[in-house]
Amino acid sequence: MKRRQFVGLAAGAGSTLALAGCLGDSGSDPATADADADGESLPTDDGTPPAATLSPTRTATPVDPGRGIYIQSFREQMSVQGTATSGDYEFALMFAVPHNFWTVTGDEVSETTIEDADSIHLMAAVWDPDTGTVLPETGLSVEIARDGDLVSQEVIYPMLSQPMGFHYGGNFPLPGDGTFTVTVSVGGTNIRRTGAFDGRFGDPAAVEIPLEFTKRTREEVQSRQLDRGGDPGALRPMDTPVPQAVLPPKDDLPGTVRASGRSDDAVFVATTLDDGPVDGDAYLAVSARTRYNRFAVPAMALDATLTRDGESVYEGPLRRTLDPELNYHYGAAVDGVRSGDELTLSITTIPQVARHEGYEAAFRQMPDMTLTL
Amino acid sequence: MVLDSDLPRRQFLRTAVALGGAGALAACQERVDGGATPTGDPTAKPRRQHAWREYVPHDDSGNSLLPEHQVLLYVDLDGDGPPGEDARSTLESALATLDRAYEWHADGLLHSVAYSPAYFDRFDADLPPSVELPEPRALSAFETPTFDTQDAVVHLASNRPDVVLEADEALTGDRELVNGEPVDARLTDVATVDSRRTGFVGAGLPAEHQDAAGIPASKPVPEASPLFMGFDAGFVGNQATEDAVTIEEGPFAGGTTKVIANIRQRLEDWYDEQDYDERVAELFSPGHAEEGLVEGVGTNLGDDSGIDRFLDDVADRARESGRVGHAQKAARANRDDDGNVRLLRRHFESTDDIGSDDAVASLHFPSLQRRISAFEEVREAMNGADITAATPAVRQRVNNGILEYIFVRRRGNFLVPPRRHRSVPTPRPAES
Repeated sequence: MKRRQFVGLAAGAGSTLALAGCLGDSGSDPATADADADGESLPTDDGTPPAATLSPTRTATPVDPGRGIYIQSFREQMSVQGTATSGDYEFALMFAVPHNFWTVTGDEVSETTIEDADSIHLMAAVWDPDTGTVLPETGLSVEIARDGDLVSQEVIYPMLSQPMGFHYGGNFPLPGDGTFTVTVSVGGTNIRRTGAFDGRFGDPAAVEIPLEFTKRTREEVQSRQLDRGGDPGALRPMDTPVPQAVLPPKDDLPGTVRASGRSDDAVFVATTLDDGPVDGDAYLAVSARTRYNRFAVPAMALDATLTRDGESVYEGPLRRTLDPELNYHYGAAVDGVRSGDELTLSITTIPQVARHEGYEAAFRQMPDMTLTL
Repeated sequence: MVLDSDLPRRQFLRTAVALGGAGALAACQERVDGGATPTGDPTAKPRRQHAWREYVPHDDSGNSLLPEHQVLLYVDLDGDGPPGEDARSTLESALATLDRAYEWHADGLLHSVAYSPAYFDRFDADLPPSVELPEPRALSAFETPTFDTQDAVVHLASNRPDVVLEADEALTGDRELVNGEPVDARLTDVATVDSRRTGFVGAGLPAEHQDAAGIPASKPVPEASPLFMGFDAGFVGNQATEDAVTIEEGPFAGGTTKVIANIRQRLEDWYDEQDYDERVAELFSPGHAEEGLVEGVGTNLGDDSGIDRFLDDVADRARESGRVGHAQKAARANRDDDGNVRLLRRHFESTDDIGSDDAVASLHFPSLQRRISAFEEVREAMNGADITAATPAVRQRVNNGILEYIFVRRRGNFLVPPRRHRSVPTPRPAES
């Protein structure tokens, strides 16, 4: 019975959201595409105040593979509810208005649309408190309770958003206003960790962070239509205290940065280290980031072929790896790399990260790249 | 939870079991129409407390139909240190009452008592090497269950709700007669109930109780399904035999080990975001979906899910389909060297939410095996960590069998002694 009541109340809460006022922290900044890894800079907004508030992406945007990254059709704020630390991890809990998003399974992309009952897009971030490195590939779940009663519990998905960056998120109905206790649980990650991260992030941990869903916090989140929505480019991430999964600029990567290429608006930067993080062997690392904003593009299957004078010297997968210096990357120990070697990168599974509007058409049809190192 | 006389009969009876107590029993007895309960012959009880297979009905394919109503009483013995002879004779007397009062059958009562590692810590002596009973532990990189470390768990099971309730009252209440037999001693004379958990299993019952948190409001659980997830489970061909899980040597020969988890089920996305074929792929294997092997709740599978055909190329198939099946992953570790199944799973559904009065879909998952490590190995295989390394489409809990939809909240490990040592055994009882 209680659940049925939740649904009715939540619909009311949702409609309040759309009318919320503006208290945001990035609404007055011009939305601008960040300089991308190739050095381009694309202004995406003239800074004139947006005209209206509305619930974002309520209207499904047709997915158009090949379109690449485009500026989402709205600007928005999120409310950072709190942070907490446990074990190897620091967590943050945020919310925004409910969102449409797209999940990926293999090469299949499915849209998750906002349901009438949804009150918020709940988001969690998790990072290493020592280095601020965001963990872009682990398991995250949330349990929401109020006064000891279970409201919801779900595994939430890793996803990319232009203004909100990389996060784990999902839409949730809430049974009206109040203070909720959200238990955010992280699983130990299964991807390779190297360097000072070796042996870390292998255990689960959980924190409780209160969530205030009230008129005041709803006023912190809002969205407004954006005239430049749909143009190539991306909004800048909001300025928040939550670390972003932004990868180092190409030239700041460790090792010898040898080449970069682009495939369906993901930029791949190849760097090599003589004494790499795996047994001190020579190491090939490929850092994959979004064309704008340099967000990590996680959870691909990436194969590499390294050819020297027409002969293959390495052929195999590059493993998803988290390293304090290289950050999230795809890497393999190799016998050595010489100037002039040819590196062919082949994406055998597209990034399995879910996408908010503006990313759903990118990283879908990813041709091989051949880079001369 | 309220016992509302307007509830449909089966829902009323099930609610009575969940509530427990003398009032629930009285209300339940007014509404059952099962006739007289067969009484028991204490000398006709099997030597194994876990002997169910011959005493429960089977479906047309020979699959066991587990008792519809079940109660788990987690108890702590009063006092510290090893229990004395008084406690032993009192408990034995209480259990003997059940032996006399009910036939050993699903239409009578199946019952057992099992002991935890914490119980055996009361003694200076260790368990013999023939018994492997470690403390419960987390078995995946993402679960943080609370461990059940009570001394013992009493399991009551019957197709008759009035019988489990009455047996519960015989052990913990103040009744002087149960099914015509005098009650001379009670479990609660020597122990205190720390946690009472209840559940149900069998076609129809989950559908009737799907108005619980965790199940979509659209009431998607099919009437024919014995479980909330909408499919049959526990096919006889995919279950260990009772012989295979029975300890063969030492003083506890004839016993078994029992891992009991309580798992919260969150089935909104299971039903709303996935179509039938995706559910089949994630519960059984992608091959089951592609070949259309499953119809409806899967009764057409007969006595075997056919999972063994889909174990050789699990990672390759996951790369192709972006998903891996739950049964497929687990089965990889659930076979011994001769190909025999290692675990005997006897899970049942519940709307218990331990720690609150909310109705929340959950699963009590008792598994029997000769050694606890067999369960741990199967659970490890079910985590599919190797598959997440093989393809990023399968994540820690997404597209990875049913892990997205289940949350382990409790786990306890127990030794189910043979009947002769069922009452507060020492770690080294006599061998015969």
